[in-house]
Amino acid sequence: MNELDIVFEKNFIQQLEERVINDLPTSSWDLFKMTYDIQKSTLIHTSDDLLAIDYLPHLTCLPHQLNTAKQVVMQMNGCAILADEVGLGKTIEAGLILKEYMIRGLVKKVLILVPASLVNQWIDELVNKFYIPAVAYRKGYSWKHVDIMVASLDTAKRAPHCSEIHNINYDLIIIDEAHKLKNHQTKNYQFVKGIKKKYCLLLTATPIQNHLSEIFNLISILKPGHLGNYKAFIEKYVKAVPSIEDNHYLKELINKVMIRHTRKDTNIKPSKRHIKTIWVDFSKEEETYYKQLEYELGNKVPFLKLTLLREICSSREACYMSLKKLSNNSDHPVEDLHSFIDGLEKLPQHAKARKVIEIIKKIGNEKVIIFTEYHATQYFLQWYLQQHGISSVPYRGGFSRSKKEWMRQLFQHDRQVLIATEAGGEGINLQFCHYMINYDLPWNPMRLEQRIGRIHRYGQKKDVYIYNLATKQTIEEHIMNILYKKLNLFERVIGELDDILSKLLITDLESEIQAIFHKSTSTGEAKVKLNHLTSIIQENIELYEEMGETNGTNKP
Amino acid sequence: MVLTNLDYFFTTFFKAHRCKIIHKEKGLIKVQLTKELDRELMNRPFYWHYMEKMGQKGEPMKLTFITDPNHPNQQSGEWVHFGSPRLQQIINHLKKNEIFAKLYQYVSSHVETPLYPWLVINIKIIYQGKQTREELFSIGLNLINGLMRTNMMESIHDLSFQRSVPDFCFPLSPLIRLKSGYRRIENVLKQYIYDQDQTWVEETLATGKHELALLQHFYESRDDENEALYQKEVSDIKNRYQPKIIVQVINGGLFYLTDSYQN
Repeated sequence: MNELDIVFEKNFIQQLEERVINDLPTSSWDLFKMTYDIQKSTLIHTSDDLLAIDYLPHLTCLPHQLNTAKQVVMQMNGCAILADEVGLGKTIEAGLILKEYMIRGLVKKVLILVPASLVNQWIDELVNKFYIPAVAYRKGYSWKHVDIMVASLDTAKRAPHCSEIHNINYDLIIIDEAHKLKNHQTKNYQFVKGIKKKYCLLLTATPIQNHLSEIFNLISILKPGHLGNYKAFIEKYVKAVPSIEDNHYLKELINKVMIRHTRKDTNIKPSKRHIKTIWVDFSKEEETYYKQLEYELGNKVPFLKLTLLREICSSREACYMSLKKLSNNSDHPVEDLHSFIDGLEKLPQHAKARKVIEIIKKIGNEKVIIFTEYHATQYFLQWYLQQHGISSVPYRGGFSRSKKEWMRQLFQHDRQVLIATEAGGEGINLQFCHYMINYDLPWNPMRLEQRIGRIHRYGQKKDVYIYNLATKQTIEEHIMNILYKKLNLFERVIGELDDILSKLLITDLESEIQAIFHKSTSTGEAKVKLNHLTSIIQENIELYEEMGETNGTNKP
Repeated sequence: MVLTNLDYFFTTFFKAHRCKIIHKEKGLIKVQLTKELDRELMNRPFYWHYMEKMGQKGEPMKLTFITDPNHPNQQSGEWVHFGSPRLQQIINHLKKNEIFAKLYQYVSSHVETPLYPWLVINIKIIYQGKQTREELFSIGLNLINGLMRTNMMESIHDLSFQRSVPDFCFPLSPLIRLKSGYRRIENVLKQYIYDQDQTWVEETLATGKHELALLQHFYESRDDENEALYQKEVSDIKNRYQPKIIVQVINGGLFYLTDSYQN
């Protein structure tokens, strides 16, 4: 017991004696008893449940949510990355932790930064599920005087809010969609880093999207210095191939600050995902045009070739925007550009769009979300659906918070289809919808996961149906066949891949693929290289699965 | 549990502070604060300072508490809930002020009844290791015969007490002084702590060592730039994994109990 400090209370009995002898005021029985009862009911037991559970009898939490909250409060000292897969209820976990700290009297001043589209949802959950009086930031509200403020990161980081917030000592900050902080050179990052805090929760389903430095940056917000300094870290883990031993240390350290559950660990039997690939044939004219783009124009503007090909697979409008931009750039006139623009105008209705109408008609009266990568396609589809008597609303990242909420409500109550661009994919919860059409596929599988996560998340009771469109004989076919099909991305529960990629430290997949297409002189060559890339990933996946079996440490 | 019934909690608290309950229905309580409680809870020292300067009485505030978030008049008051700042404020107020007691068991008697002195100590032991664990003991020591019992508060929980000697009762003088009584209790607790399984201490120290070793791997090359960061991390880890036991008196006092409490 040498190393153990025992500190005994010293003053109590002296003071009691003085009071008794001098007949000084003492407590009434009611208050004395009440104080004892409170102490008794707010005692911290290691083995027992969180105190918060007793106060939230109406809330049923899943075991992994309770475990996460317990682990963060009891072992991680309130600083953690909550990295459950999309839809496993990270908000519930964060709410539980916040509640627990409030009951223990350790947390009073709280700042919650979330995407603008999620502010109302957070408020709703905190107030109604956790009885926590959270307030959404509105113009003129004082950061200093509201104890539990929910705001968007974009609002908070602007002057004068930024400096006001930096002057406050927060007990707890919670940041949703924290992968926005992966780059330490951004304003977002600098702003969050500058907030004074005691506890901190970072929520993200994709703690590592592309690069290992991202996790370094996230951890540096939680615990500056925990992973040494940036330069040394990059040298050792990012630039060089880390040794197995080093990797082991890294994993161990990451597990001290990050909790991640996948659907597999949680044994939740979610509703099923039915995923269907829909092949679209270009019309003769479209096919010819595509070839011309690829071999004629593409060779004149190699840096744009890939973009143009992807765009023409999406819509004439998307492609038109790029061509138009190109023609306005008089520094580098491109021969025959006008004939391409004219050619574009003469093309028939887009084959894919016709397919979409077909699918929606087949689905019947159900709500449908369509995702596209391009604004121009979004506009076009809205018009095109309208021509076919299908009502729709647009949704994109640039909308203000209230507009997003309005669009969501319109969709829920009034319109059949919501057409979202990539930026709109984050955050919004659209569980009342069970059908999704991926009009074009992102090249980063994580982004696809985020899309699907909008409708297929914890709490979704019905099966969901995902239709992925790809045009034959185009770049889309390669991506579909090689990236998605060969890696079994659809058959796997998608979060698994995310897990594997992040653990294997595979660097930027999307730019890898882009580089392959750029550097290859022929489609054949690109195909071979793509095949090679996927084989490497596949091998790694197998390796990972073996490792997971032998040492059982694949669960953080 | 006291905190699961907030209506009861607030009513008891404010009544005990001699505040008038102006209105009460399920999920809503309206109270008139006293001047003392207004000063404690409302955080407006300038108002009271000004009133004093002006020689005026000042007007303590009325507070409306909503304990049911679904109450139809929820806008009309302050929503209090577990973990809300107001509740926390009141709990802290209790913890700070309700520490010492000198109480006599209420006996309605027409014959002379002796009351026996007990020292009642409610004590919290906080074990700070890798994890924090707390234990609460309520220990009573009969100051005449030295009998000690645990769960003292639980056993007297439903009795009534008052601050003055009830009619026809006569309190006996303690034979054991408060201080030596307290020492006896302290010794028993010390023994209790030493007799416990100490694996948590070893585990905590081992974890601390492990974390320090792990940290080393990320600071193999230390320079001026990261030396400060490194030292800070080291001292954080050391502080966190230094096992410690804190024995803290929550409250306690001198209680006079009837004969039936001898056993």
